[in-house]
Amino acid sequence: MSIDIKMAWRNIWRNPRRSILTISAIAFASVLLVFMLSWQFGSYDTMINSAVKIHTGHLQVQARGYNDKKSIRLVVSDPAAVGNVLDDTPEVAAHTCRATAFSLVSSSERTYGVMVVGIDPVREAGVSTLKKMIRQGSYLSEDDTDQALVGELLARNLKVGLGDELVVLGQGRDGSVAATVVKVKGIYRSGMDEFDRSSINIPLKNFQDVYAMRGAVHEVVALGKSLEYVPEIKKAVAAGIEDIGNEGHLVVLDWMELMPGLIEAIQMDLYSGFIFYLILIVVVAFSILNTFLMAIFERTREFGVLLAIGTTPGRLSKLLLIESTIMTIAGIVVGIIAGSLVTGYFQVHGIVISGTSELMRQFGLPERMYPQLSMLSASIGPAAVLVITFLTALYPALKVRRLRPVEAMAGI
Amino acid sequence: MHFQLAWRNIWRNPKRTVVIMTAIIIGVWSMIFLGALMRGISDGMVRNGIATLTGHIQVHHKGYRNDPVVENSMIDPEVVKTAMERVLPAGAQWASRVRVNAVANNARHTAGVTFVGIDPAREARISFIGKAVTEGRYLRDDDKYGIVAGKALVDKFETKLGRKIIMMSQDTDREIASRAFRIVGIFEAEMQSTEKQFIFVTKTAAQHMLKLENGISEISIILPDQEGVKQVADNLRAAVPSADYEVQTWRELLPLITAYLAIYDGFMYIWFIVVFIAMGFGIVNTTLMAVFERIREFGLFKALGMKPRWIIKEVLAESFFILLIGTAIGNVLSFLSVFALSGNGIDLSALASGLEFAGMSRIIYPAIYSHDVIVANLVVFILGLLVSVYPAVKAARFTPVEALTHT
Amino acid sequence: MNIVECADVKKTYQQGKIVVTALGGVSLSIEKGGFVALAGPSGSGKTTMLNIIGGLDSADSGRVTVNGSTLGKMNQSELASLRLHNIGFVFQAYNLIPVLSALENVEFVMLLQGVPPAERRERAKNILDDVGLEDTYNRRPAEMSGGQQQRVAVARAIVSDPAIVLADEPTANLDSKTGQGLLEMMKEMNEKKKVTFIFSTHDKMVMDYARRLVLIRDGLVAGDEIR
Repeated sequence: MSIDIKMAWRNIWRNPRRSILTISAIAFASVLLVFMLSWQFGSYDTMINSAVKIHTGHLQVQARGYNDKKSIRLVVSDPAAVGNVLDDTPEVAAHTCRATAFSLVSSSERTYGVMVVGIDPVREAGVSTLKKMIRQGSYLSEDDTDQALVGELLARNLKVGLGDELVVLGQGRDGSVAATVVKVKGIYRSGMDEFDRSSINIPLKNFQDVYAMRGAVHEVVALGKSLEYVPEIKKAVAAGIEDIGNEGHLVVLDWMELMPGLIEAIQMDLYSGFIFYLILIVVVAFSILNTFLMAIFERTREFGVLLAIGTTPGRLSKLLLIESTIMTIAGIVVGIIAGSLVTGYFQVHGIVISGTSELMRQFGLPERMYPQLSMLSASIGPAAVLVITFLTALYPALKVRRLRPVEAMAGI
Repeated sequence: MHFQLAWRNIWRNPKRTVVIMTAIIIGVWSMIFLGALMRGISDGMVRNGIATLTGHIQVHHKGYRNDPVVENSMIDPEVVKTAMERVLPAGAQWASRVRVNAVANNARHTAGVTFVGIDPAREARISFIGKAVTEGRYLRDDDKYGIVAGKALVDKFETKLGRKIIMMSQDTDREIASRAFRIVGIFEAEMQSTEKQFIFVTKTAAQHMLKLENGISEISIILPDQEGVKQVADNLRAAVPSADYEVQTWRELLPLITAYLAIYDGFMYIWFIVVFIAMGFGIVNTTLMAVFERIREFGLFKALGMKPRWIIKEVLAESFFILLIGTAIGNVLSFLSVFALSGNGIDLSALASGLEFAGMSRIIYPAIYSHDVIVANLVVFILGLLVSVYPAVKAARFTPVEALTHT
Repeated sequence: MNIVECADVKKTYQQGKIVVTALGGVSLSIEKGGFVALAGPSGSGKTTMLNIIGGLDSADSGRVTVNGSTLGKMNQSELASLRLHNIGFVFQAYNLIPVLSALENVEFVMLLQGVPPAERRERAKNILDDVGLEDTYNRRPAEMSGGQQQRVAVARAIVSDPAIVLADEPTANLDSKTGQGLLEMMKEMNEKKKVTFIFSTHDKMVMDYARRLVLIRDGLVAGDEIR
């Protein structure tokens, strides 16, 4: 061990109480940051996953302009060809097609305007969680035609139950009247009110017949093996649809483009979190600055002797920095360990914040939240603490350079 | 005497005192300023929620909230009007509306909307729509076929001022009533979703289309003072036949915003504590240093016959001054920062879709609540003195002999 | 050959609002291998003289040459290097680095000079043995007596064979017997290793050990005798 580190280490323990308080302050900030970032990252993952599974998939192939206008005329006319492209992309885990039309849906008592979504029952189950959200009745089967799945809130608004008939009235792709009668086969609930009151699902084949789609769909929805593969898939699929003669008609949109609000809300949450964390670290930095400063005040004479026997001022700065860095690292290590333990505990047991379940549901979050400890979440916060503490320690460390041996030894 | 001595003692090492004060100042500033920002965000949500047709209090026919259809209309609003005249405080404003789900279409597009029939003059006094029309004009009493639609909807429908929109909704005979309206005005709102959701006509036009005669869907009330909402709602509830009417406050009408408010509250107090702990370490450490440096002095005091309690008081008085100055400056700085931002607010329009997703306003006006300021200051002060007890007791325990032999 | 040359060295201090003249024009040459005492009452300027010779303090005017180098124009790090290689210090008290053991204190200077570890250790042990501290290698300053601490300080000052050792009232905090022991040892080192010693004192007993006694009074040389 180098003599500098040895000296720094011994100096730290000259005043154990003070050093422990300082280390504790650093550890406290680190624990908090590890936990909070794990919490935030965990909830983002959950939010993204549930939004992707309920709404958009990881990415979609659509006609250009469909995402903004949702016009029934903007179609993917050869979904099978796009499906082949997706099949040829190894990172794609599953894909399906959907078609959507806004229509009037009437029960015997009520009429509401809702989105009618045509789904491929088999493939849809691999992409979205719709099948798992069925609360009453059952999911669509492959050869269903005039059956429908209805959101729980919509079913309540329409005053319908399983087996009841719904009259669907809308406009087909060609402008003709699209009308059909379907039976409620299942009622689902996602927990997101907006979703649960705004749509019904019918088999895609039936949809295509009723709305005169001539085999076309609106969205080809793909789910990658995981979120990280999305950019890669997007690139491959974009190239793939060019090869099948797209000529700018189709576009590939990833979940961030399909749900810009989600990613921006996450960024906002992250940024505002960073502001809070930064302020916290600065408060901690000032809290411990006195310890670092005292190290000079108290040892001025000693520094005087060190200077007198030929130690350069630079070496004194280095000594002080090693001292503060050792304390910081000790605090950070304790913080990371304790923070990981705390986070790990809640990662297993989950946390319920009482009174928030309703709100959480609207963002696709379960009532019981599980923070997600990762290398990133365990290191970012402590790293920021290290940097800011180091900057704080620079002040006394550079100040010591101004000491002159004679005054220093006469000092105190 | 304590105070004089304490005051002089904290300035024996001005640098150290300034450093710990800085920690307290930043801490207190962050408590109050970030608290004001959070309040600004939640105020914006509440304000926006209330302005977006909610009002402070709403009266509906029983069952309308769960099943908002024409059957659940108030056929004879006079009963409610009489009751309101009795119980509403002076300065309260109200308006009645027809409000049903409907389908809007034009030649190219169709969408589900909330169709609202309003009394133009009264409505302008209680909700956002009075000031929201940015193109064309607001509704007039005699607008039989005039309609005001949101900008986002108009854009989506690829239409413009003067064009037709056909509205379809279930009437009181359970038939689909449809009627063509002409766009006379286009409004812009805080949220795109508001622009897409609401479409306005005059109350008479809506009543006529839905065959409602004098029936209305809801009455929305704005009180001069938000504080009294619950009391007024209770009075009103007692004054109308409970079998037929429901009276609800905005807190009940906007459960998500109410939940947000609770979370913000909780988060703010946790933040106060966290910041305090961060500076608490510094306070303890600095006070300990100050005490250990003066072991000899305290020993001398004791040798002179000072009681330990006196020494504790002395040390606490020093913390008191440091806390006092730190919090005072922290308060002033946070007030100044809030003041500087309160004119134009903080414009977050760059993150518009994110704000919309989270239900936040585009511009945040930080708002200082006296209650938060008091709590923040009390937390710092009381806990600050509390943690100083440790070094103070330490100082009081030095025996004269060990103190005098300490180097 | 002279190891130290001072010519008309002047130094004043600001003490509050009063200007105090510490040295009023001292000219002094000290020969290599000397064992020289600067003697005088407290406040006479002898500590200032030592500090200036050691490059710890700078003269207002005049010329100081140590081992051939002129101090006036040197910056802090050049001075640090001069002290490191040419000058050893022994102070009145608080001489040692409290967190280092006796051995480590002695090694520290060689560490700064870049002497390899094994050699460092060897030389440190030898010199501690020379000053009679073969049993206290691993004690920290707080665990040693004042006399032992000063011996470590002397060991540290001479371990790297400096041109001069400057000792400011090295015995002031010691009882007379321990002080004599220390001086005996210093003298032995002076003779054995040919190290120049310059020390300040106001103690008659200490002056008796010196081979040359320079009397300083009110910032001026008041007497200079070789014994």
